[in-house]
Amino acid sequence: MAAPTVPEVASGRAKRAVVPVEPYRRRSPNWRRALRRQLLPFLLVLPALVLVGGVLGYPIGQLVATSFQQLGLFQLIGHHVLWNGLANYRQLFSDGQFYSSLEQTAVFVLATVGLTMAIGTGVALLMGRVGKVLRTVISLTMLLVWAMPSSAASIVWTWLFQAQWGVVNYVLVSLGLHSFGSHDWFASQISAYGIVTAMIVWQAIPFIALSVYAALTLVPNELYEAAAVDGANARTIFRQVTFPIIRPVFFLLTVLSIIWDGNVFNQVWYLTGGRAQVLNVMPLGVWQYIEAFATQQYGMGAAIAIVTVLILLVVTGYYIRTMVRTGEVSA
Amino acid sequence: MTTTMAGPRSNRGRRSTWLWRVVAVAFCAVMVFPVYWMVNSSFEPNSQITSLTPSFFPAHFTFHNFVDAVDRPWFWDDARNSLVIVVTAVVLVLVVAFLAAAAVARFRLWGAKAFLVLVLVVQMVPTAALVIPLFLILNRAKLTDTYAGLVLTYVTLTLPFTIWMLRGFVKAVPIDLEEAAMVDGASRMGAFRRILFPLVLPGVISTGVFSFITAWNDFLYVNVIMTQNYHQTLPVWLFSFSTNTGTDYGGLMAGCVLFSLPVVVFFLFVQRRIVTGLTAGAVKG
Repeated sequence: MAAPTVPEVASGRAKRAVVPVEPYRRRSPNWRRALRRQLLPFLLVLPALVLVGGVLGYPIGQLVATSFQQLGLFQLIGHHVLWNGLANYRQLFSDGQFYSSLEQTAVFVLATVGLTMAIGTGVALLMGRVGKVLRTVISLTMLLVWAMPSSAASIVWTWLFQAQWGVVNYVLVSLGLHSFGSHDWFASQISAYGIVTAMIVWQAIPFIALSVYAALTLVPNELYEAAAVDGANARTIFRQVTFPIIRPVFFLLTVLSIIWDGNVFNQVWYLTGGRAQVLNVMPLGVWQYIEAFATQQYGMGAAIAIVTVLILLVVTGYYIRTMVRTGEVSA
Repeated sequence: MTTTMAGPRSNRGRRSTWLWRVVAVAFCAVMVFPVYWMVNSSFEPNSQITSLTPSFFPAHFTFHNFVDAVDRPWFWDDARNSLVIVVTAVVLVLVVAFLAAAAVARFRLWGAKAFLVLVLVVQMVPTAALVIPLFLILNRAKLTDTYAGLVLTYVTLTLPFTIWMLRGFVKAVPIDLEEAAMVDGASRMGAFRRILFPLVLPGVISTGVFSFITAWNDFLYVNVIMTQNYHQTLPVWLFSFSTNTGTDYGGLMAGCVLFSLPVVVFFLFVQRRIVTGLTAGAVKG
C-alpha cells in the first residue's frame, strides 16, 4: 500500500529499536497497536464489503450453482433442483456458436477498446492544448454526449440510420451515393457490428476523455517546464512525464472498457431490434441472454456467464496485477 | 500545456495551434450531431419527420411531441421515482466507495489486494445473468417493489466500479499533503475529510456522474424488481413509445430529450468541478 506515513514510522520500528522495553510488556502494546492500525481501515472498508458480499455474493453463488444444474422453466416453477455436473459446460464447448461468439467478442473488444482509448486520450491531450473557450466547447460536447443515457442513445442512433427517413442515408444520397437510398444498415452482420461499434465508441469517448483529462490536471506544471527546459519534444514529454502519472487511471479505464465491451448486451439488443440472432451479431453477452431467457436454458446461460467471466479474467489478469502492484510501489 | 514557444519556433507553434483548433471544432461537430438531431426531430411534426427531405433545423417548430410525451401514462410518477431512487443511490455509493478507496489506497490493510481483485471480478459478471438471483434474494428480504430494494441494487451494482475509480484518483494525490496536515495535528479522518476529499473532488464527481447515469439508464432491474406501475422509473416509460403498430418517432425523440434532460442539467451543474484542475492548483500552491 501507500508508503508509511511519518507518525507511523515514528511510533513504530524506529522507536522500538532504540528504546529498550521489557519483553512481556512490549508484546501486548505492539499487538494491540497492530490491531488498532488495522481497525480503522477495516471499518472504512466494511460497508463496501458487506454490500458486495451480502447483496452480490449470494446471487453470484447462485449463478455458479445454476451452471451445474439443468434449470429450465419446468424446474424453476416446480423448485426442482436437478444437478447435472459438467453437462452445461460440455454442451457449451461442443457448440459451434461458442467459438463464433468468442471470435466476435474478441474482434469487437479489440476494435471498441482500441478506438475509445486512442480517441479519448487524444481528446484529453487536445483539451490541454487549445485555449479556454475551445476547452469549454469540447467539455460541453463531451457532457452532452455522455449525458445521453444509452437507451436514449440507442433509440436516436436507430433513428439516424433508419432506412427510409434516416438522415445518414439522406446525406449519403445527397453526396451522390445513390445506392444508399433506403439502405438497410442492419441487414448484414458486418454492417450492424459497424454501427454498434461506432455508437459504443461515440458513447464511451467522453468518459475516457474527461477521466484522462482529470488525471492530466494532476501532473504538476513544473514537470512540463523542467522537461521543456531540458529540450524534450512533445512525444518524449508524453512518454516520460505525462504517461507515468496518468498510468493508474489509464490502466483502470482500459480494464473497465474491456469488461464492459466484453459483456456488451444492451446496445446490441436495442440497435438490432431483437434481430441479433438472425444476423449472428452474438457476442458472448448477447448469446448468454438468448440462451438463458429466449430458450429458457438458465443452466446453459449461467455456464456461458461463468465462462465469460473466466475469459475476461484471463485477458485482464495481467493489467489487474500490474495495477494492484503499481499501486503498491508509488503513492 | 503551453503551446507558444519563444524564438524561431514560435511560427510553427502558432500554426500547430491553429491546426489543433480546427481538429477540435470538427471533432465536436461530429460528436454532437446525434444529440442535435434528436433535439431537432423532437421539435418537428411527424409529417415533416417522415418526409423524404429532412430539414436540418426545425422549420415547422412545434411543442406537440412534448405535450404528447408528458401526457403518456405514468410520466410524472416515473420521473419522481427515477430522481429519488437514483440520487439516493449515488450519494450512498459515493460515501461507501470513498471510505473504501481511501482505506485501500492509504493504509497497509491486510487482504486489500484480494478485496480489490474480488470487487473487479464481480464487475465482470454479466448483469443480465444476475437479474433472477438478485430478485430472489430481495424477495426473501421483502424488498421487492420498494424504493429501498432498487436503491440497494443500484448501490451494489455501481460500487465495484466506483471503488476502483476513486482509488485511482486517491492514489494520484500525493500523500505529503495529508502527512503535513497530520504533523500539524489533524487526525487521520480529519486529513481525509479536509485534505484528501477536496483534492479528489473532481474525481469523485466524475465517478458520481457515472454511477448516476448507470442507474438512471437501467431498464433490466427496475422491470423485474418493481411490479407496480407507479413504482417504476423513466426507462420503462421511454420504452412504451414503440408499439407493434409502429413507432412515433417525433414522440420518441421528445421522450429521449426529456429523459436525457435531468442528466444534462446535473452534468452542467457539476461541469466546472469535473474539468477545472482543482488538484493541480492545490498541489502547486
